[in-house]
Parts: sequence; C-alpha cells; structure tokens
Amino acid sequence: MTPLLSIQQLTYNPPKRWEFLSPRSEFVLGPVDLHVHESETLAIIGSNDSGKSLLAKLIAGAVKPTSGEILLNGQPIGTHQSKARANNIRMVFRHSAESLNPGISIGSMLDEPLRLNTQLSPAMRLEKVMQTLSLVGLMPDYYYFYKHMLSDGQQQRVALARALILDPQVIVADEPFAALDPSVRSQTVNLLLKLQAELGLAFIFISHNLGIVRHMADRTIVMSNGQIVESNLTQTLFTAPEHPSAQKLIHAHNSMLKL
Amino acid sequence: MIILDIKNLTLEIESNGVLIKALDKVSLTIQENEIRALVGESGSGKSLIVRAISGALPPQWIVTADRLTWRGQNLVKMTRAQRQAIMRRDIAVIFQDPMAALDPSAKLKDQMLESVPSEFIEGRYSWQRYASRLSISHKILHKVGIQNIEACINKYPHELSADICQKFMIAMALVSQPTLLIADDPTRGMETNTKKQILALFTRLNKTRNLSILFVSHDLLAISAMAHSMTVLYCGQTVESGKMKAMRRRPLHPYTKALMDSAPSFSPDLKPKSMLVALDGTIPTLQHLPIGCRLGPRCPRAAKECVQMPIERSINQHTYRCHYPMHVESV
Repeated sequence: MTPLLSIQQLTYNPPKRWEFLSPRSEFVLGPVDLHVHESETLAIIGSNDSGKSLLAKLIAGAVKPTSGEILLNGQPIGTHQSKARANNIRMVFRHSAESLNPGISIGSMLDEPLRLNTQLSPAMRLEKVMQTLSLVGLMPDYYYFYKHMLSDGQQQRVALARALILDPQVIVADEPFAALDPSVRSQTVNLLLKLQAELGLAFIFISHNLGIVRHMADRTIVMSNGQIVESNLTQTLFTAPEHPSAQKLIHAHNSMLKL
Repeated sequence: MIILDIKNLTLEIESNGVLIKALDKVSLTIQENEIRALVGESGSGKSLIVRAISGALPPQWIVTADRLTWRGQNLVKMTRAQRQAIMRRDIAVIFQDPMAALDPSAKLKDQMLESVPSEFIEGRYSWQRYASRLSISHKILHKVGIQNIEACINKYPHELSADICQKFMIAMALVSQPTLLIADDPTRGMETNTKKQILALFTRLNKTRNLSILFVSHDLLAISAMAHSMTVLYCGQTVESGKMKAMRRRPLHPYTKALMDSAPSFSPDLKPKSMLVALDGTIPTLQHLPIGCRLGPRCPRAAKECVQMPIERSINQHTYRCHYPMHVESV
C-alpha cells in the first residue's frame, strides 16, 4: 500500500548570508525520511531547536526545502504543484489564535481559501463554510463574528476549520495544544479524534505534552539536532526508547508521573 | 506555621459602572516549607491573586480581605515602604511571560546584577563590589541550569529563547534568597527536560533552604510531581483545596475531577485514541459570570441549589465548595 504522504531525503540548509559579520552555528535539517498512511496520527517530539517546527513548515510548504522529495499518493509535489499541496496538506500554526486575521470576519477568513483554490460559486462557498463550521462544533452565527469575540477554544476551532475547509488529506499541526487550557484541550483532542474517524485524515502534530502524544499518536518520531533519531509505534517507543535523547525525554516524563 | 494567610479575598473591578467580582472570597494559606499549587484555567484569576499578594494591582481596583497577612502582619494596612521591604527580601515573584517581564532595552547582565541585594555584596570599592555582584550572579545562573552563561548574559531578552529568559527570571527571583517564592506559570511552553530540571531545582531548594513555593500553573503533571497541596480555582472562586495526594486519589468537586480527567497521563488504563472526558462549553468571561457557583452552567451535576453560592465544607483538611460533591450520590 502506498503511503498517503511520504518524504524522501528531505534536507534544508539555511541560506548563507552575512557570514563574515555574524558567524552562526550551522544548522542542517535532515536528510529526513518519513511516511504517513491514511487515518494515521504521527507525532513529532524532541527538544527545543531540534527542527520540529521547521519540518512541519517544510511539509506544509511554508519553507522551501534544499533538496529531497515529498510524495503525495505516490506523486511528487514540487514547487510547480503548489495547488495540489495547498489543497491536500493544510497546516494549523503554532499560537493558532495569533494566526487568525483580526480584521476580517471568521466567514471571510474561511471563504478565502475556497475563493482562491476552487471554482465554487458564492452560494456553494457559503454552504461549504457553514458545513465546516458545524463540523468543528461552531454555530452558523460565527460566520459574522470576528476573532476577538471568540474564546481560546473557539479560536482553535476556527484555525482547525480553516485547515479543514479544502477537504485536505493531511493536516500538519505545530503545537496545537500548547496554548490551551486543560478542559479546552480535552475538547480539542476529542474533536480531532472524531474528525479523524469521520474523514480519514492523516494527522501530523508536534507537541511537548507527552501525555497527549501517547494518547493520540499511532507512531511517534523523535527528533534531535535536525535528524530523526528514532521512529516507532507510540506504545513501543514509550515503553522502550532506544536513542539517548528519546530516553531522556521519556524518562523525564515518566519521572514526573511517578511521584 | 502559616506564613501567608489569605481569607475571603475579594477583588472588584468596575466596568461600565458595574462592579464585577474578579475574585470572589478566595482563601489560601501557605505553611512554612510547603509547596502549594494554585491551579486554574486562564481567566480564573490565578495571576490576580499573585498580583494582589505582591501589591501590583492598579489603585482603582478594590481589594477587600478578611485576612491578607504575611507572618501575622497585615499586608493591606501596611505602608508602601514596609510592603516593599517584604517583597524585596521575603517574597520573590516570577511573573508570567518572561519576555514581557524582562526589560527589552537592557542587557540581561545589567538586569541580573541589579537584582542582587546589596546586603550580599562584599568589598569596599566599586570594582570589588562589581566583581562580587558578578560572582553571585554567576553562581545562581549556574544553579538554575543555564549553559554557557558568558554567551547568554551579554544578550538582550529578544535574542534568547523563551525558556532561557524564564531561567533568568527564576535566577533573579532566587538571588535574594526569599522565604516564599511565587512562581506564576514558570514551566509554560517548556519542553519536558527543561521542565524537569526546573522542578528538580524547586524541590531541592524547598528541601535544603526551607523555601516555600506557591506554584501557579495549569500543568497538572508538573504540579503532581512536586506540590504538597493544591488549591483549585475556577472563575475567581476557590472550589477545592487540600493535600495533593488526597485530591488526586479522590477529587470532591466536579471541576477538579474534570481537570484530573483532562490529563491522559493520570489515567493509565485509558485506551489510546478514546474520547477524553471534558466539560462542555468554555470559561465564561468576566462580563458574563453566572451567579452562585460559577461552574453551574457547565457542571454535569448541577441542580437548582447551585444558583446559591455553596458554603465551604471540609473533610480532613480537604475543603470544597459544592452542593453535590463527588462522594455524594447525585440526585
């Protein structure tokens, strides 16, 4: 079975500039290989500055990779197929609340990707927006609301709705739970699990919260220094981590649990 | 011995001519040598309590309290100078969001040196005193776990990552060797390893230096790892407080129960990918607070009585405010 999304030998070197003025430590991402199947959840964990967010941005196409290939359903998507990528791989940004435009209403925020990427008529677009709003558990009235009128959890839902509106196959989320309160976080986790079961989404997320990673993810990837150092089924990884940096993370988590 | 004693602290804010109770009869005590966790979601008034203790509230906000005392001295009636003296030496506060709390226009070195109390500085001449300040700062920075201090100390806050700034904040708070440390969400956004380091540091200081800590956070995992006792806050009301172990084993208030359920790590027999138990709805805003028990509209056990504020009851130092607590069969 071909994986839904597979990444082969993806690397990223930051562009060199002003090297003689500010000597920077060389950070290189990759080469990275990974693949995700349909309705699978993949979690990326790792310490700070290990290149987790960069990998997410590379997958979503927010940053151009230096080399390597991203295959969607076995078809390579490069710079020329940006539309295919925009339709099928969507991203939920870190601090999703800040990634919403405060100046336009939720409706137009959700309408925009449809206007730019599809040939739907205005009436159909409106219907689609309404559908997506109800999918993430928001009322139709929210079409006319602005960002500041919503609570944290609702803003998170809007960010998710924006990612879902083009019926993507893969969602990439960069710390979707970090800024949320416990009860809202549980709601979001439930929502994501529900959506995944209904729509068969592949879900890639980055998190520091290992409890949630353990609960949600089918497979987990550990990153360190721009490299994938371990990749395994979540339960296996949490019971027997192999790489030192994975061990460090998981032991730290377990030691907090025990007391 | 109780060092900080707060009884029925009420904080009222005027908004459009109406007084809103942002904090409603909050009670909190901290024993000597105790780590107490203050748990609540955003908007529950955790930070307001911290600011009320430290006296950093705007003057137009009305604070009333039956008791707000530090070692028997009334903090509300105190003059500004006395209060500052206590805040300078006995209580140290780590404020939320280090990037906002640090001065963006000064190098971390200058900020760090400034926070060293003059009593600790040895030497007569300015260069000796400077060297003394520097060595004290280096010691404390090393203790909080900053690697390559030399590289970090000569930078501005925006040049460093948030968790290093957070460590600087902790160092600045600890340098005056306080008796009580109030830490407002010190582990927010930290990755697991760093978090563990910071918690280990707090626990060590608590054991070796008899430091009492008020640990304000909503990270239940971190709290359960170090706190001795816990106070749960919802929308400016204390809903439950007691010993950590008892509360983890058997929460009495529905809200505490919901909080505990929200951390999947606490329930080892939870099936992966199963739905988590969550309360419906979200935290009400200050303008739309329900009357009586403020959890009412979201509470699965709510009934007619819940529009009345429940009185405080207690079982074995485990106090709660609820008409239908978890150990009573619901009607």
